[in-house]
Formats: sequence, structure tokens, C-alpha cells
Amino acid sequence: MNPILVLGGGPAGLSAASELAALGAPTLLVERESYLGGNPVRWHYSLLAPDLRPAEEVIGALLERVEGDARIERRLSTTLTKAELGSHGYRVTLATADASETRDVAAVVLATGFDHFDSRRKFEYGYGRFPDVVDFKELEGMLHDNKLVRPSDGQRPHRIAWVLCVGSRDLQVGNPWCCRLGCVVSIKQAVEVRQKHPEVDAYIYYMDIRTYGLWEDLYWKSMQEYGIKFIRGRIGAVTLAEGGSRLLATGEDTILSRPTEVPFDMIVLASGMEASAGTKQVAELFGVPVGPEGFLTPRLTDLNPVDSGLPGVFLAGAATGPKAIPDAVTEGMGAALRAYQYARD
Amino acid sequence: MPIVEKSLVSVDRVEHLEVEGIDVSGDWNTFLRSRVVTDLDVKIADWVKGQPQGETISRCWQCGTCTAGCCLHTDYGLEEFNPRYFIYLAQIGYEEELRRYASTIWRCVSCNKCVERCPKGVKVEEVIHTIGTYLELSGGAAESPADRFDRAYTENLLGRGILDEAALFRTYERLEGRRTPARELLRLGLTLLKSGRLHTGPFAHRTRGWNRMRKVLEAKLTEDRARRRASVPAPPVPSGRKP
Ligand code: SF4
Ligand code: SF4
Ligand code: SF4
Repeated sequence: MNPILVLGGGPAGLSAASELAALGAPTLLVERESYLGGNPVRWHYSLLAPDLRPAEEVIGALLERVEGDARIERRLSTTLTKAELGSHGYRVTLATADASETRDVAAVVLATGFDHFDSRRKFEYGYGRFPDVVDFKELEGMLHDNKLVRPSDGQRPHRIAWVLCVGSRDLQVGNPWCCRLGCVVSIKQAVEVRQKHPEVDAYIYYMDIRTYGLWEDLYWKSMQEYGIKFIRGRIGAVTLAEGGSRLLATGEDTILSRPTEVPFDMIVLASGMEASAGTKQVAELFGVPVGPEGFLTPRLTDLNPVDSGLPGVFLAGAATGPKAIPDAVTEGMGAALRAYQYARD
Repeated sequence: MPIVEKSLVSVDRVEHLEVEGIDVSGDWNTFLRSRVVTDLDVKIADWVKGQPQGETISRCWQCGTCTAGCCLHTDYGLEEFNPRYFIYLAQIGYEEELRRYASTIWRCVSCNKCVERCPKGVKVEEVIHTIGTYLELSGGAAESPADRFDRAYTENLLGRGILDEAALFRTYERLEGRRTPARELLRLGLTLLKSGRLHTGPFAHRTRGWNRMRKVLEAKLTEDRARRRASVPAPPVPSGRKP
């Protein structure tokens, strides 16, 4: 059997590759970055919601399975530049910085994932201009390294605000969808901050709290056990206060029906998820239909969320829409099974 | 509902009992109007949505981004001017409460910051004006000084085809029923002239051939108003009047 190609080495791709190997299929795992693990590794995610397990433990276990398996051929810093449908799968061209080669593969799993929204595009929030406005993926890194300080002066912040739905649910930036994770991750971060530094006050500005399913528990705990405060209103803009030493979150407290301009030492933006550059590229190469959001569209989102509808092309993880790691891992398994069945027949 | 102490509730909620012109309601046995919302009516939202400028009203999800940046609400401190709240009242159809803002709603200066920021693509400024139009057309709003100024302004413009500040001021004074002393007027006029904010000379301004234009314009305005008035449902009987 020709190998089955898995594109993307994030949680979904890792899960698909290790599952394929377990089924006994030769597997070719291609990743455009120089490392495996995807966004969680790239941004040094700290604890994962809702179980508050270190990301390293979760991703580490996936990596171990893949790296310890001789049936999985791993190609890093490699991109796909061409794909042609043949009689038994695809003929693909793989390119590194200095070389390219052609390979025949029996089936393809697209696990090309997402990119975090670039918060500079929401310019009212001052990200990129005010050092203490940080993106929540950067806060993950700070929490991971146990270094919760303001980038501007290296001091511990006294009061932090989280702003939800940055670059999500927002027609001004052209992203109407919900990021699914911003709420639970922000709440998790606030809990993590209060666990480590109970003296830091945490406020979350929200429009709706979407901690769906069993995640609701973390939301309740965050209020009941960690004293996190929730203010209903979307922040309109962030400006400087107190001679530039603090930040002003200007918004409307819609429950008070009053403007609020409260100073914070640090403001964390829960930036949304967008289809990654890689996802957009493979959509074109294979001709997978994309939705208005740019994510790949499965042929039947309900009955078969991992089938693209194209021969031998299967989908997994955040390439088809915002997704949490457990869902990405599950889809990786599903796509592996479908790709295996296709290649075998 | 009997209340405990009159001074604890806002004046407009106290039900006065008068006998031969004398308020005999005491401090401890007064009645007050209920605060309970007893009726909602979707017709306001429907009407607003049906207007070309109001159709985005149904997109609003009450996040408050518009109010957060609204200069009237924040910088100017006009607490009762809250575009998000106006939209909410119109959406749920709480007409009685909305009507309290019938004149405030026109204070919008059309800076469009709200439109620039609204994440849902609500044309807030247009929607607010459409709600204002609804309230105006369906009647019942007490006229405020701002309304009277608007009326003077329109009269002035329609009458002459060009704005004449001195005449505008006179009309407004008449509507307000007040008279500024001549010395004060002179001082004000000179200050404005010097700073270039008054363009009236000794002769009244007037556009040439305006009378013909005016007839056409007036006919059109009357027709427009009649048509729009006819499209507005009748205002409700205010609820909560009975103790
Ligand atoms: S998950 Fe929460 S933060 Fe993310 S877009 Fe949805 S509501 Fe906003
Ligand atoms: S910003 Fe838009 S969606 Fe938010 S409250 Fe204002 S009009 Fe509604
Ligand atoms: S256009 Fe009107 S409602 Fe909108 S921000 Fe400006 S003053 Fe406020």
C-alpha cells in the first residue's frame, strides 16, 4: 500500500498519524513548521481547559506515540505544492526550502488547522501599540513559564481584564463566527492566575458566556471558588490612563446602563480562530469546498464530518472550524479510519 | 400599591390625590404607579425594521459597544442617551418607557462612531433616528426646548430658503415665550460676528425665487408626513396608571 498522507502536525494530525500506524498503514506526516505539535507547542499553551492538565502532558503523549513509531515517516519544514488525482490516490509534490520530490499516496488527511486572529486588526484595542494589551496566546506562554508580569515594566499586574470575542462574532473584521474556545480559555486563564496569585483581581468583559456542555462547571467554579468578576458589555476601545502607566477599558456596563472606564494593569484579548494559511492553500490544491469563513466544509457535517466528498480526501481538526483539542483528536481518529478504509479498498 | 415614604420614589411615580386642588396625599399613605412591565408590543420593531433606515434593528444583540463610544453618553455625560437601550426598548416593544426618551433620542449628533464599531453591522445612528421618527409620528411626545429649536430651524429654512441666524433666534425666542434684553443680544451678536460664527448682515437673507421652490417642497413634505403618519400604528394607552 502507498502511504497515507497526513497534512499538519497539530493535535488532529498527530492523532490521525498514530491511529493509522496502529492500523498498520504506512503513514507520511508532513508539517510546514520545523516542529510537531501545532499551535499548542508554538504558543506554549499552559493548562488546558477544562481539566487544567498541562498542555505538554497532552500533546507530549501524542508526540510520543508518533515519534516512537517507525511506520510513520515524518517530514518537517515541508509543504505540499501540487496534488493530482491518479487511479490509486494522489500524486503529490512535497517541497522543502531547497528541494522537492514527487510521491504517490493512497489517501489524504487534511489536518491543517487554524491561525489565531491577529489582534492588531482590531485596532481600537491597541494591541501592538500598548505593550500591556496582550493576546491570550501570549498570556498562555507567561502562565506556562510562571512569569505573570506586565510587558511594559516587568511588574506584577494588580488587576487584569479579559476581553472576549476579539476578532470573532464581529462583522467589522469580517468574522461572524464564534471561536468556541475564547470563553472557556479566558475563564481558565483567570482561574490559573487566581490560583497562582490570589492577590490579582480578574474581570471578564463578555457578551455571552459560551462554556458549553460540561465546561459550564469551570464557569461556575470561577465565580464561586476563585472570585472572578463578570461584566456584561463589549469593550469599545482601550486607551491609556494615569499618564500611560495603566490601561483604560472603555465600555458600557449593559447591566448598569452606564459607561465604564476602569483602569487595568493588563488587558488580555481572547483572539478568535481563523482558517490557517495552510488550510486555505490545501483547499485550493485539492478543490475542497470552503464556507464563507474560509474553513473546509465536510460534505455532510452531521453524518460524516470527516469526509470531504472528494475521493480519498478526509478532514480533521480545526481545518473545518474552531475546535477544542479533544474534538480535534477524536476527528483525527475518525479521519484515519476513513482514510484507511479508502486506501484498502 | 401603597408606599412607605414618598421621598423614596421618583416624583413621576407618585399617584397624587387632590381634593379641590389641594394635594391631600400624605407621606405614609400615598399610592404609586406600578413598575411592573405589563405589556410589550412588537409593532414598534416591525415598523422600524420596515423602514429603509431601520432594517438593521433586528441584528442588535445588546453588547453595548455603541453606547461605550457614544460621545453624548460618555464625554457629554447625557446618561439618558443610550443607543443600546433605545434599541432594546424598541426591540421588545416597551413603548411606555421608550416614549420617555422621545425627545432625548433626537440629541444624536450623527458622529457615526457607533456604526463604525458595532460588531453586528447595525446602522445604529439610522436606527436611532428611525425610532425617533416613530415616536414623533405616533404622537404623544412632550415638546422639549430642543424640539422647539428644531421647529424654529425648519420654519426659518423653509420660509427663506437660506438660514438667517438672527431670524432663527427671534423665532426660537417666540416659541420659548421669552425675550433676551437688547443689550445682552447686542453683546452676543457682536461676539458671534467677531468669531465668524454669525453670517447675518443688516438685511435678512433670502434665496432668490424661493417662493416657487417652497411650494413644491412644502407639498412634498406634507405628503411625506401624511404617508408616514398613516403607516404608524396608534400609540398605546399607557399602562400601569391604576394603583
Ligand atoms: S467562545 Fe466565547 S469568546 Fe469565543 S467568540 Fe464565542 S462567545 Fe466569544
Ligand atoms: S454595538 Fe450594535 S449590536 Fe452592540 S448594542 Fe450597539 S447596535 Fe446593538
Ligand atoms: S451617531 Fe449618535 S448614537 Fe451614534 S455614537 Fe454618535 S451621537 Fe451616539
